[in-house]
Amino acid sequence: MRDVLRILLPPLVWLASFSAIYGLHGVGCVLLWPEVAMPVMSLFRWLLLLAWLAAVLVQVGLLLALRSERFRSDSPFIRWTSTAMSWVGLIATLWTLYPVAVLAPCAAG
Amino acid sequence: MTALRRHRKLSAIWASEPGWKGWTSSVNHTDLGRMFLVTAFFFFLVGGLLAMLIRAQLATPDSAFVDAGAFSQFFTMHGTIMMFLFAIPTFEGLAIYLLPKMLGTRDLAFPRLTAYGYWCYAFGGLMLLVALVFGIAPNGGWFMYPPLTGPLYSPGINTDFWLIGITFVEISAICAAVEFTVSILKYRAPGMSLDKMPIFAWYALVTSLMILTGFPPLILGSILLEVERAFGLPFFQADLGGDSLLWQHLFWLFGHPEVYIIFLPAAGVISTVIPVMARTTLLGYGWIVASAVALAFLSFGLWVHHMFTTGIPQMGLAFFSAASTLVAVPTGVQIFAWIGTLWKGRPELHLPMLHILGFFVTFVIGGLTGVMVAVVPFDWQAHDTAFITAHLHYVLFGGFVFPILAGIYYWLPLVTGRRRFFRLGEMAFALIFLGFHGTFLAMHWVGLLGQRRRIETYDAETGWGAINFVSSLSSFVMAIGLAMVLIDVAIHALIAVRGRRNPWGAGSLEWASMSPPPAYNFASLPEVTSREPLHGDPGLPNRLARGEGYLGTPRDGRRETMTVDIASGRPEGIVIYPGNTRLPIMMAAVTGLFFLSILLKLFWLTPFALAGIAALALVWVWQLGDRADQRLQDAGRGAVLPLAGETDRAPGWWGSVFLLVANATFFGSLLFGYAFLWTVAPGWPPPEWLPPSMAELGIGAGSAIGAALAMRLAILRNRRSETPVPFLALALAATLATALTFGMLILRLPPPDGHAYAATLLILGAYVMLHALLAGLMQAFLIVRARRGFISPRRRAELPIVLLWSDYVAAVAALSLLAAHLPGFLV
Repeated sequence: MRDVLRILLPPLVWLASFSAIYGLHGVGCVLLWPEVAMPVMSLFRWLLLLAWLAAVLVQVGLLLALRSERFRSDSPFIRWTSTAMSWVGLIATLWTLYPVAVLAPCAAG
Repeated sequence: MTALRRHRKLSAIWASEPGWKGWTSSVNHTDLGRMFLVTAFFFFLVGGLLAMLIRAQLATPDSAFVDAGAFSQFFTMHGTIMMFLFAIPTFEGLAIYLLPKMLGTRDLAFPRLTAYGYWCYAFGGLMLLVALVFGIAPNGGWFMYPPLTGPLYSPGINTDFWLIGITFVEISAICAAVEFTVSILKYRAPGMSLDKMPIFAWYALVTSLMILTGFPPLILGSILLEVERAFGLPFFQADLGGDSLLWQHLFWLFGHPEVYIIFLPAAGVISTVIPVMARTTLLGYGWIVASAVALAFLSFGLWVHHMFTTGIPQMGLAFFSAASTLVAVPTGVQIFAWIGTLWKGRPELHLPMLHILGFFVTFVIGGLTGVMVAVVPFDWQAHDTAFITAHLHYVLFGGFVFPILAGIYYWLPLVTGRRRFFRLGEMAFALIFLGFHGTFLAMHWVGLLGQRRRIETYDAETGWGAINFVSSLSSFVMAIGLAMVLIDVAIHALIAVRGRRNPWGAGSLEWASMSPPPAYNFASLPEVTSREPLHGDPGLPNRLARGEGYLGTPRDGRRETMTVDIASGRPEGIVIYPGNTRLPIMMAAVTGLFFLSILLKLFWLTPFALAGIAALALVWVWQLGDRADQRLQDAGRGAVLPLAGETDRAPGWWGSVFLLVANATFFGSLLFGYAFLWTVAPGWPPPEWLPPSMAELGIGAGSAIGAALAMRLAILRNRRSETPVPFLALALAATLATALTFGMLILRLPPPDGHAYAATLLILGAYVMLHALLAGLMQAFLIVRARRGFISPRRRAELPIVLLWSDYVAAVAALSLLAAHLPGFLV
């Protein structure tokens, strides 16, 4: 079961962080966080960027962990697949959440 | 023992009852796989007939062929049948039939569950069919958006048929998904490590995990909408704190992964068929596995792209637009791997290969229009037009029907033991291909010109008449082609001449059994050392028939197979299957009675149906196990293994784990709904919050956690050869206290028909109470089992299973109490 988890964990973490940041975005818009000013940018933008950064760091940590001797699988196939899934998780985190850096948070669609 | 004598002995043990009676009592995967496929294709015929009626109506402007009411039923039932009664069951049927053969084992993990799933599907489908025949079929579109489908705008029984019938059918999908997951992970031939698994099994595993996490949101949505319709609890009514967008979120949380749940098994067929047709091995096995897993996960991040026009903020739209474009990458990796496989091999253009080529052309076009609608501004223009209908048909027909037809023609010689002698299939392919593209290319065009989907007619002045006529004409060409396929398959199955084993020269294990395969699949189980065992060892089928593999000696009339370690495929245990029984069909009938009692508002019948289900479930599990220790058993080839019931991780434990994964997704969706309504829905805060109660919090959480602890102590005592009964009784008492606490919570709620807040807490409370009662029933069952001598330090498998459920109750009870009391504390 550990080998299956090694494959599933990185995309699972992406899904959790993606959903959590989407949820955070919804809550922030309802609670008018974009109107709370902070140095450089609004509180909401800070929160979203920090959440994105945390998600990216977790993915990087997973990538390193699954390649480390301590956590990697004994099976070369599982090792390869879990590394590939770690890259998928990292790229997905960077690509699907980059809107937090470039778009107006609560502008109507 | 000679091979023939072994065959006769094994056949006597594994055979189903002869004649039609055997259909009702068979639990054999080969029988049930065939039954699933035949039923699914029957529904395909019905869905196709409805499509023809739709196209006949739209062929000319101002058509009066059918009225608007009937037309609404036709398009709703066409979508519903094709999605829920054809596509998913076809995957189930194919996987039920093939997986044990491909994995080198004798049956799936839970044969009675296979049969129960089939009968739930058949009865649920029949329910919808009856509605269609009597003109009271669902008519709100296959995604059933409220408020159109709410009690105000759809007061009749039509919508209820959909909500209840589909939930009934989905039991079948959940059963199959649990079954496949456990079978693929635990029921493989010895030596078949994860990297030696047939690629189809990887796809089936990924699809099964997607079903377990994708279907529960829809089941929840269906329950909430039905409860709103039947009892007036306002989950989707904006004036009472509900929000119709909640339905869209729940539906598309299921609906988008559903597209990939349909595509991935078909991709498994393609990945299996292409290397055989190209006389080579699959290029990039690891890349394909990684792509399938990536596709599965990414597909859960796309659901909002069906909601681009609902006013969601730009940033939210951008998340899902980005995810929608990203999903094209793993799909592209698979396409390139298949093209690369063809490139490195020497392809032969047999009939399955024609359908694969049809898939390539059609699916790539569907994928490209998918990227178009993933871009928000384009989607705003094309939303709800015939362009979208055409896009989804390119994806689903291209990504499912063509590959499945390829698969049918590929495995037909295995199923029937015969070989084709007409060329009807080739003509049929040409008609299907030309007809399909004529129909749906035209539909893209007319959609871009502005034709809305689901309109029953249009004016001549629109200029859409000629395009629609071409589309309708082509659809009839396609229908003739599909009818020819059915005729071709029937001719093949009934009167074609006998063929040789493994006519394609494939390397996977399903071709190592006889054609058609016997009920037991393999006279003895193989030791696998490569991904394509037959290529490395052409003499394997004969050696297995001679009993030179594992479990080659039939004994005591037992249906035996083996379980293995998940990663390495090392043998772990011996499983003894139950024999033929009518318990599954009876259980499905009583389950149907429960759903009928809700549908027909015969609520007096509901508790009797529930009691019937519980009673039959107890009979079901009572039949398992032994009253004496069996100790280690000889499995052949020098392997000595315990029975699964004498291990900590029996198949039932694994089944419970994956069933609880689905259950936890359901619970998570409910919490999501609660949070969504609280933060997004208008009409909040509610007029009245639940008064917080420290006593309720303490007793509820304490008793649930106490039950889980008591279960652990019971296991510990059993391990020390002491009776577990006192701690089981303690666990039962604590679990009943949990149920009682949630009963009290429900009674303290504000009126649930007054606001979505109280309505949501009612569902949350009822969910935990039901699970606490279920866990209590299991604990009571264990007490009786322990007293009757079914449990010993060796025969311990049942205890960890109930522990799992007790732990789950503790977790959901604590979270639900927090969710219920937190607003009161905050306010």
